[in-house]
Parts: sequence; C-alpha cells; structure tokens
Amino acid sequence: MKNSVKKLFIVIFVIFSIFVAGCLQSNQTSENSAPINLVKMSGQEMIQKLGTGEIAGFIMWEPYPAIAVTKGLGKDLILSGKIWKDHPCCVIAYDEDWYKSTNNSDEILKRMALAQLKSVEYINNAKQSDSPDHEELINYTMQFGGMTDPAAANLSLADVEFVYNTNIPGTTTFIKNIQDFGIFDMGKWNQSGYKNASDYANSLVTNNYVDWAINNKDADFSGISLQEPVNVRYGYLINDIHELPFYIGWQKGYYKNLGINISIGEGAPFQNGAFEMQKGFKSNTIDIGSLGIPPVIIHRINSNDFSTDDARVGVIAGMNNEGSVIVVSNNITSLKDLSGKTVGYPGPGTIQHVLFLMAAEKEGLRVSN
Amino acid sequence: MKIGEKKKEVVINLLSLVGFVLLWQIILILTREGIFSIPFIRLRDIPTPVETWHALIGSMFTRIYGPSLTYGIYNHVFASLERVIEGGIIAFIIGVPVGIGVGYSRIIGNIFNPIIEIVRNMPPMAWIPIAIFIFVSGGSIFIVFIGVVFPIILNTIQGVRSTDERLLDAARTLGASESKIVTKVIIPSAFPSIMTGLRIGLGVGWMAIVAAEMVIRSPVGLGYFIWNMGDLGRYSEMIAGMIVIGVIGYIMNISILLLQRRFIKWED
Amino acid sequence: MGRLVLESVTKKFNSFQALENVSFEVADGEFVCLLGPSGCGKTTVLRLAAGLEAPMGGNLLLDGNKIEGVNKECGFVFQEYALFPWRTVKENIEFGPQAKGLNKNECDRISKHYIDLVGLNGFENHYPKELSGGMKQRVGIARAYANNPKLLLMDEPFGALDAQTRNLMQGELLRIWEKEHISVLFVTHSVDEAVFLGDKVVVMSARPGKVKEIFDVKLPRPRIRTSLEANIIRDKVLKSLGMEIKLAMKDQ
Ligand SMILES: Nc1ncnc2c1ncn2[C@@H]1O[C@H](COP(=O)(O)OP(=O)(O)O)[C@@H](O)[C@H]1O
Ligand SMILES: [Mg+2]
Repeated sequence: MKNSVKKLFIVIFVIFSIFVAGCLQSNQTSENSAPINLVKMSGQEMIQKLGTGEIAGFIMWEPYPAIAVTKGLGKDLILSGKIWKDHPCCVIAYDEDWYKSTNNSDEILKRMALAQLKSVEYINNAKQSDSPDHEELINYTMQFGGMTDPAAANLSLADVEFVYNTNIPGTTTFIKNIQDFGIFDMGKWNQSGYKNASDYANSLVTNNYVDWAINNKDADFSGISLQEPVNVRYGYLINDIHELPFYIGWQKGYYKNLGINISIGEGAPFQNGAFEMQKGFKSNTIDIGSLGIPPVIIHRINSNDFSTDDARVGVIAGMNNEGSVIVVSNNITSLKDLSGKTVGYPGPGTIQHVLFLMAAEKEGLRVSN
Repeated sequence: MKIGEKKKEVVINLLSLVGFVLLWQIILILTREGIFSIPFIRLRDIPTPVETWHALIGSMFTRIYGPSLTYGIYNHVFASLERVIEGGIIAFIIGVPVGIGVGYSRIIGNIFNPIIEIVRNMPPMAWIPIAIFIFVSGGSIFIVFIGVVFPIILNTIQGVRSTDERLLDAARTLGASESKIVTKVIIPSAFPSIMTGLRIGLGVGWMAIVAAEMVIRSPVGLGYFIWNMGDLGRYSEMIAGMIVIGVIGYIMNISILLLQRRFIKWED
Repeated sequence: MGRLVLESVTKKFNSFQALENVSFEVADGEFVCLLGPSGCGKTTVLRLAAGLEAPMGGNLLLDGNKIEGVNKECGFVFQEYALFPWRTVKENIEFGPQAKGLNKNECDRISKHYIDLVGLNGFENHYPKELSGGMKQRVGIARAYANNPKLLLMDEPFGALDAQTRNLMQGELLRIWEKEHISVLFVTHSVDEAVFLGDKVVVMSARPGKVKEIFDVKLPRPRIRTSLEANIIRDKVLKSLGMEIKLAMKDQ
C-alpha cells in the first residue's frame, strides 16, 4: 500500500514536471514571435471591448466596422480588398438532402439566383447617393444590420461589393489557403476523394443557375414564376450586411413573385457560418442559405460523413466580394503593432479568420488561434 | 488475501475501461455501416476511439502552419490548470477564514450566513454572463473562485462545528486561551474537512473553468479548445479534449486525496 | 496544596435537577473516589470542579478560592482519552506547557519527564491512533500532570480498558500519584476500583444526585485486592450502592 502511494507520487511528480516544461515551452514560443491572439466574440462584444481597450482590434463583417468607426472607437486598418482584391465572400448554398428530396429543386435554385441578381442590381443602383431609391436602401440597411446611424449604414455599404456571380478560381484559392493553414481534418480530406483544390472547387460550385438567371434577367416575373409556390427554409447570418441582397429580395417580394415563399429556418439568423453549417444544413433545418464560403469549404470536409449527404452543400450564386475590415484602436498604425495583442474575430473557420491569416502571412506575422 | 483482492479490482476496472472503448468502437462501426441508429442523435459524427487517439496525439503539441500557430492540448491543459490553481488559491485564502469565523462564532455566522446561503445556490455558470462584462481580464479565474470557495467555506464550517467537545474541554483545562483553542484545536481538527472542501471545490472549479472558457474567450484553455474544434467540425479533437478534461479532473482529485493522506498521517 | 471543597453544590440542567446539596472534600494529597450509578451526576461534579460548568447554588473552593471560570489548576483525564489526534504523544503532553508559553527547552524537559514517568519511552513520536487504549490513557494522565496541577480530576479513566490492563493501570496510577503526590478526584462505577485506589470513597445516589455516604478506606498501600479488610469495606460500599442501584432502576 505504502509503495503504491509512493509510485503514484512519482507519477504525479512526472506529470507536474511535464506541465512546468510545457509552460516554459509555450512562453518561449510566444517570446520569440509574440503572436497576435485571435479571440472569438460576437460583433457586439467587439465594439464594446474595443471601446474599453480589452482588445486592440477586430476583424469583422460590415456593419460592425462601420459602427465602431462612426462611434469613434477605432479606425479602419485594412479593408479586406487590400488583403485580396475582389475576394469572394458570402455565397448562396443549398442543402444536398433537400436538393435530392425536392422534385423541382433545379427550378427553385434558378429562381433563387435570379432574385439575387435582381437584388444586387437594385442595390448597386440605389447605392448612388443621387438615386431615388437611396433612402429606401439606407433604411433596409439599417434594419438588416441593426443600425441606428445612417452614416454607419452608408459607410458599411461602401466597403461591400455586391455580386451574384460564382467564383471558382477564388474558391480554389480559398481552399488552398485553408489547406495551408492546417484547418482541414486531413483524415477527412483524404476520405473525401477530391484530387486537389480546384477539383474540390469545381464539385462545390455550380454556374448553371446564375447562367439561367442572366439569360432571364429581363423576363417578366409572372412569366417565369413557379406554377406551384414552394416553401423554402432559409438561413443567414445575423446583421451581416454582406447578405443584404437576401433581405432586399425578401422585403421587396422578389422571391415571392418568383413563386418562392421564404420562411426563416430554425436557428437563423446564425452567429457565424460554422453554426449555420452544423446546426442548419447538417441538421436539415435549412434548405437554402447564405454564409461565408470558408465555412462551406471547411464543413463539407470536416463535419462530413462521406457515406451520407449530411454536410454536403452546393454553391449556386455569389452574395458579395470583399466587405470585411480589420478595425483597430487609434494608437495602432500597422498590423505589426498588433503583435502580442488580442484581436476579436467571429470564430475559427470564418472568412475573417482566413483573411486575417492571409494578412498576417503577407507581413510575416504569427497568429495564435 | 487483501492484495489479491485489490489486484482483482484493478483488473476489473481496467477491463471495464477496455470494454467501454470496444463498445464505443463497435457501435460506431455498426452506425457507419448503417446497421445501428438512434433517432435524433447523429452518432455518425462521433469519432471512433482510434480516430480520437490519433487526434489526441496529433494535437498534443503546438503546431505551426504558415502564419497560424495552433496551441497544443498540452498548452491548453496548462492554461486551464493555472486558472484553476489561481482561483483555488484565492478561494482558499478567503474561504478558510470565513468558514472558521462562521463555524466558531455565532455572531460572525449570523452576519455571513444569509449571504452565503443565497450566493452558494447560484451555480458558477450563472456568474459567467456578469463575469464577461465586469472583468477586464481574469473572468474565468473568478468563475473558478466562485466554484471553489463555497465547498471550502461549507466544509470548513462543518469541520469547525464538529470539533470534539471533549477536545475543547481538554484544551481549556490545559490552560489554552480562546485564540490558542482556535489555532491549536479547532483549525487542526477541521483541517481534514478543509482539505475535503478544497478537493470538492477544485472539482467544481475544474468543471466551471471549462464552461467559463467556452464563453470568456482567451486564446488558450481546454474549454476554448473544444469549442474551437467544434466550430471547425473537428469532432475527434473535440472528444480528445473532453477526455483530457476528464482525466485531468481525475488526476487532480486523486492527487489531493493522496496529499491529504500523506500529510494528515494522524487521521484514521 | 490542592484542597477541594464542595459546599451544598446544586446544579440544574433546565428543569432537571442533576445535583442537590452535594458536599464533600478532597484533602490536600488525598485520593478520593466518587462512586455511583450512572446518571447520578459524577461527571457533572468533575466538570464543576474543573470550572467547565458553573453551579446553581453552593460553593466550590480550591485551596479556599472560589472556582470561577475554567480552573487552570486542575488536570482533567477523560474516559475516552480526548487526546489531540493530530499531535504525537510528545506534542500531546506538551500542549499545556505550550499553552502556558513555556519555551521549547522547558517543554522538552517536561514531556521527557512525564514520558519516563508513565513509561512511554520509544513512543514519543507516535500518533494516538497508533496506541492501545492503555497507552492512550497513559498519555492522558501524563498530559494532565504536565500542567503541574494541584488537583487531578479523572472521569472513569479506565472504564474502556479490559480487566487486565485496568488492573495494571490502577497500579501505575498509584505509583505516579505517590511520586507526584497531588490530590485526586477519581470517578468510577466500579466498587473494586474505588476501594483499591481511594483514601476515601464518596457514594452518590441518583435523581437527584446527592452524596449518600462517605467511607474512609484506611488501608496501607500497597493494598492487596483480596485482603479481608478490603472485602469488608467493599461489602459496606456495595450495600450502600446496591440499594441505590435498585432505587435508580425503579425510577426508570
Ligand atoms: N449538558 C447537559 N444538559 C442536560 N442534561 C445533562 C447535561 N449533562 C448531564 N446531564 C444530565 O445530568 C445527569 C447527570 O449526568 P452525569 O454527570 O454525566 O452522570 P454520570 O457521570 O454520573 O453518569 C444525567 O441524567 C444527564 O443526562
Ligand atoms: Mg459520567
């Protein structure tokens, strides 16, 4: 008995020494390169914590950067277009299970793409300050983005480029980066059977629906509306100005006029794309939804069981390019200044995560996440 | 005879662990073959023990991918333990004197009891939202503190109050002053209870820290790790992290028990 | 010195009359045994003498001074030993000297003396849980003596021991008492023990606790347990007590 106690003590001592060694080791790495610490939080928290100085900056989708800047809590350091010009961002995706179990799913998706095209056209017109629709657009923007300040709405719109086209080369680049940054579960990647990034991108993205939408963009809605109106459970991200086209199409009745009744899916709006993929698409509570392309890329690999279509989604249209911003407190002048400091982000595997890593890579900085 | 029985018990314990792992593997294989399923539960997402093992090994140490530095489970364990130990020390420093005061003096008891009785019924998790807002840093240490301090206070009170009356009488007739009685009789006599309180408290604190780290974000900590892995859909790493949490909690409990046995040689 | 005098002591616990008009005396250096059925208030008498309880009426005097508050000039030996389990034999014995603020050397000297006296050499660093009942009570006695008391109060100290150890301990106690020669008030419910040990046997009766009869035991020491004189006294005491036991039983 006494002996076994002694042995256990030795074991505990050894474990303890390992921890101490671990502490020293982790301290060393942080001293050598002083990584920027990414910490997950909601957009509200980012604004609040930037104000109190708990974080030195954040990377987030609009409108949070615009709100922080108009409140004078911080300033834009890098617009995501500076990290990667015209990078794809949010997209419209459908759930594979829904696709297979719905007989006219192709027809529905074509009309989803068309509604997107129409919304984007509306926004791009109304964005001009002399447009008669401008005030209406600003109101929609404030409603969807949860803003009270028209200046913030204007500012957030300026950073976002609304699109409807799919972007296979851009998707390929994202896949490569996600691979390089060690985000894929390599076991799952090997199971997936994709040969390389562009093989995966091609299987993920379908151009047909947007092509159809372009061909029918001048057609009268009543002529191409679905015979039998269908119900679609839609998922989107909370207060994300990138997905404003969805809100416009919904509010202005584009979907309805094309025979699609939008109902908001259970759990929507989601805190981030990872949630939408796992709690929405995978749980089959979402048929179609908009979210960042990286969560789609990541979860179709990591969260998937390749014997089923659980986490399998397809991308049918773009939503926006660019539109994320690294906002910092006023004393920060470069990304380097963030070394050793804490920076808010919406979570691992989000587009902001990947963009921030790309920005850091350019400057030779290290990011802990 | 006794040693033989002990060995038998250890063998049964090990067999039960092995059996559990085997059952886990078999259920998952059957699930993936489509033979077995439970409604409303996505068993398919659960990794097998083998996958979990690989994930554990693969994520044990810090990995660097280009600009990305991903801390290993190793660092997360250390960060969480550090918080638990810090919160535990603060709780000990505050909890023991309060417990002794309340247990010893009726007046102090009447002052503190209403607060203790109400606050101790608020679980540590209930403090997380307020901790997020009021603490610039160290919110998770505060959560641990809340988890540890009440078991320490309550066990100290109980230890003080269950001090053998005859020992108090003995000390009095031996000429001990009231302060000597507290330091030389009540505290030593309550010491095993205090240690028990510390052990139970650290158990609660360990669970609380993991919950707190899921909400009060800092870049390292086991709670943060499993949440992150969940966000990335890396379920095998997530389960590996959960197992590490369980094992560390177990080791912590056993270590304090052994320390207690080691240093309280006089106890039956 | 060490003369304990009880003058018409009464004690009530709520409405329960535990002691009524208890009067007797323990002369300096005298060994007095207090005998009576259980529940008659023997322990209560000791606790009053130790100042752990206060009387409702009457007086308790030690060397002419009224006992008020804890009586630090007495040593108490408890039936269940009441040793500090976290203290070794040596540390238990040193409790009193330490409480008095004596320095380490003095404490060492005192504990060494009493460890020798009670024959616990080699067990200095043992914890109580490692000792037999007889050894524990030796520690209890040594601890009480170490405080240099005028009066030793012993509450059925050998009650939990087997007959053989008990006899041995009685002899040991007398040996120590003769060496240190202080007054002893010894509670027991064994007539044999009372007659073997005491210079005087105070027999108490129950409900309420009263002194029934006091016997002088004028036998030379060392006493022989089976001597004729001892038997005669034992017989008297038993008779006095026997009636009492019957009465007490009727009450219940
Ligand atoms: N603290 C107390 N409160 C109430 N009753 C008590 C208390 N102490 C003793 N008694 C009662 O007083 C009586 C005498 O007790 P005690 O002196 O212990 O008897 P003895 O030692 O002769 O067996 C018993 O009936 C007991 O129940
Ligand atoms: Mg008694």
